[in-house]
Amino acid sequence: MIDALIDGLFLVLQWKALSLMLLGMGLGFCVGLLPGIGGAATLALMIPFIFKMSPVEAFAFLLGMHSVAATTGDITSILFGVPGEGLSAATVVDGYPMAKRGEAGRALGAALMSSLIGALIGAATLALAVPVVRPLVLTFGSPELFLLSLIGIACITSLSGSSMRGQIRGFAMGLLGLLLSTIGQERQSGALRFDMGLMYLWEGLELVPVLVGIFAIPELVDLAVRGTSIAGDRPLENLRGGVIAGIQDTFRHFWLVFRCSVVGVFVGIMPGAGGGVAQWMAYAHAVQSASDSRDRERFGKGDVRGVLGPGAANNSKEGGDLIPTIAFGVPGSGAMAILLGAFMIMGLMPGPEMLTKHLAVTYSMVWTLAIANIITVVLSLAILNQLAKVTYIRGSLIIPFVLLLVFVGSYTANGQIADLVVTFCFGLLGYFMVLWGWPRPPLVLGFVLGKLVETYLFISVARYGFAWLAHPIVLLLIALLIIVIAYPFWGGKPAWAGGGD
Amino acid sequence: MKTHGHIITSIFLIALAGAAIYLASGWSFKTGFFPLAVAIPLAVLALAHLLLVLFGAPEPVAGGAVEAEFSADVSPELARRRAAAVFAWIGAFIFLVYLVSFPVAVPLFMLFYLKLQSSVDWFRSLLLTIVTWGFFYVVFQRLVHMPFETGLLQSSLGF
Repeated sequence: MIDALIDGLFLVLQWKALSLMLLGMGLGFCVGLLPGIGGAATLALMIPFIFKMSPVEAFAFLLGMHSVAATTGDITSILFGVPGEGLSAATVVDGYPMAKRGEAGRALGAALMSSLIGALIGAATLALAVPVVRPLVLTFGSPELFLLSLIGIACITSLSGSSMRGQIRGFAMGLLGLLLSTIGQERQSGALRFDMGLMYLWEGLELVPVLVGIFAIPELVDLAVRGTSIAGDRPLENLRGGVIAGIQDTFRHFWLVFRCSVVGVFVGIMPGAGGGVAQWMAYAHAVQSASDSRDRERFGKGDVRGVLGPGAANNSKEGGDLIPTIAFGVPGSGAMAILLGAFMIMGLMPGPEMLTKHLAVTYSMVWTLAIANIITVVLSLAILNQLAKVTYIRGSLIIPFVLLLVFVGSYTANGQIADLVVTFCFGLLGYFMVLWGWPRPPLVLGFVLGKLVETYLFISVARYGFAWLAHPIVLLLIALLIIVIAYPFWGGKPAWAGGGD
Repeated sequence: MKTHGHIITSIFLIALAGAAIYLASGWSFKTGFFPLAVAIPLAVLALAHLLLVLFGAPEPVAGGAVEAEFSADVSPELARRRAAAVFAWIGAFIFLVYLVSFPVAVPLFMLFYLKLQSSVDWFRSLLLTIVTWGFFYVVFQRLVHMPFETGLLQSSLGF
């Protein structure tokens, strides 16, 4: 195993593989900055270019690009409040308020350093877990995955207000998200639901127009209302100092970053749950880690822990995502499904061969994840000072340009004008939600997890009737679900959890 | 203001959930089960929230949701006017895209927004428009080859 690990490193460091990885990283960096064009779409666009590459070169190119897109997606989330990718939406919640407070450098430093740590933990888990993960994945059938999805949704309680009405609003928004996820064809029977006679809705609502509309438009409207720059009239921060403060924050809250990375790896391993789920679950966990209700109230208003958690999970889930893809040929997300296509093109068969005959190729992927993220973070840190200055440009100059990016990004969902209308409608909805104090994160969490919940519930009932409710792991997960829901009602953090993180 | 917002949103949610329950109750069990399982508690929660807002004690200010807040530096009246203006610009942009497609709508929107809304002088407006259009053309049309729908105007003129 050690030999294969070293061989994998040398394979990645060959000049051709390294050059292709750097090329992929450059592409991934740009793609991550553009709202809406996700890493998965870019992977699909780049697949035709790998035919003449060796497996190591192809995966260095593709994985280098994909992992960097996840990192740089956080940059636009923080600077403009516009999720660079569907995966980066949770970073907006605290990252953008930090930018508005003149702390863009600190938020970017924290996001990048936590992303790096998350990516390294994800890569290390991939390296260690490949041989032993089989029993874990095989233990989790549809009933267990259904319960895990419910636990994800139950995180709503920690994102809602602490009063009874606040909790009701949070759950109502979560249910609205679930209801929105049912629009379109029902997967099992193909029957149409809530399609309003529009062919556009047959496939359901796409994530990007919904996310970009609900998060980006209200922030842009607020920027226009204020009539200032993003950072307002606050004095130009010592940007270099801000970036360093963000890096220090990462290590000050290292235990939180570590836990959120583990959340990301775990969500990545579970089939079907994408990076958006990992980010929101990590964010919810960061909120839950608040020492008391006063500490909890800092979230959503520019708390660096709200940037660290999603940043770490976003990148650690890449390693987790690769585990079932490599070990069983079961892709955990859309991007991994495309990567599976690359395996086929390269003549590799995911499964036992990847753990024996092609173990060095597998470990070259681990090294690609690690090296690509290290290079990205080092290069990004060098230009962060310039990037953060964008928050001091007059808002009225930025708004039309960012609006264009937002709508072109939304348009990528289906390539129809209706995508723009959906973005506009969710922009209006998001605006009124912020104005009247209805939380947006539960709605997004419900929407992201809705299809998964329904699919797993259907398979569980069809396969086991109601006997699955007595499965030992299901019972354990039900207990965990109750704890997650009851946690905020305990009136703060339990004594055993200690202070801070 | 927020109380009015809570009432409006609660009624909106009740109406939405009611419509969903009405539609889903006519579907087969397999198709309608999940929407019903979601819409019924949504209606109950929204109704409970409405009753609490109307007849309950005032809500404590502390302990709000994890959520951003809009700036309070501008008067509500001015904020409403400016917000309405931005939404009107967005609506106009979508209509423009529908009419003449993205490649034409992008420079037109950029120029008009900068000149009319942002009150930027002609030289800088034109310069920023050209830079934005160049970025759009290189990235989305030349590199990504994004297929943009033809606008209504071009279609009707036979382009």
